Amino acid sequence: MWFCLGSVINLPGFGWEIMMLIIGFLLIIAGAYCIIRTYHLLKIIIGMEIAMKAVTLLIILAGLVNGNLALAQSFVITIIVIEVVVAVVAAGIAVSLYKKYGSMEIRNLRKLKG
Amino acid sequence: MDAVIYLSLGVMLVAGVMAVMLPSMTKSAIALAVASAALGMILYELGGIWAALFEISVCSGLVTVILISAISLSNIDKEELPKVYEDKKRMALLPYVLIAGGVMLVAVALWAGFTLPVADQAANLGTYLRGILWNNRQVDIWGQIIVLLTGAVAVVVLFRERD
Repeated sequence: MWFCLGSVINLPGFGWEIMMLIIGFLLIIAGAYCIIRTYHLLKIIIGMEIAMKAVTLLIILAGLVNGNLALAQSFVITIIVIEVVVAVVAAGIAVSLYKKYGSMEIRNLRKLKG
Repeated sequence: MDAVIYLSLGVMLVAGVMAVMLPSMTKSAIALAVASAALGMILYELGGIWAALFEISVCSGLVTVILISAISLSNIDKEELPKVYEDKKRMALLPYVLIAGGVMLVAVALWAGFTLPVADQAANLGTYLRGILWNNRQVDIWGQIIVLLTGAVAVVVLFRERD
């Protein structure tokens, strides 16, 4: 579909850079929607991961357009490290929550004391 | 090259939306891995070889393993079905939100005649990346080490055996 849009129809100024920009924004919307609409902690992690993938895409696009891909790559590596640590800690919290309440619903976090 | 990028972008969008919308957590985690792999392919095609390497090995591999381990430890696929279906109902509006957002963005791009500068292919990226990571962005390296240590301590505390 995207191949058709960009190459066959050949809209003026509508190359893969613009397509990357639009898909990046759409994936950020999808991730934010997931985070807002669900109460399941693992699903929230997945939504956050999707949004961070979109941010990675946009950072690489920015680096490519500016001709400074190496700097963009160093940012992406930092983002990946932070993303993994956040995913690990959130998954640990989710499993602990499940062990305590038998559910991964984030509203259970309000019941915790101390 | 262009065809691979367009294809990977399409796969990334579809897999990303599936990861958000699928009621099964295991399938969501696998869709997330597919989206990561597609992103890794895009990064590789654009010349970001090291970022692609990290993306595919860490995000597509490690994060999926962590998510599937959490799913296995909690067995939620069987036990939280009513909750998952409730989520499915909530997520039903997402395609309409995305279609409306996509149409709006395309319309704005076409109306404004929005174009990006021509993308450059930088040469000898390996050397540049090493220099930038170790010379220009040294504080980031220290920050990453601190974040990793914090994560390790957090996991140890979370899974500590109680007396």
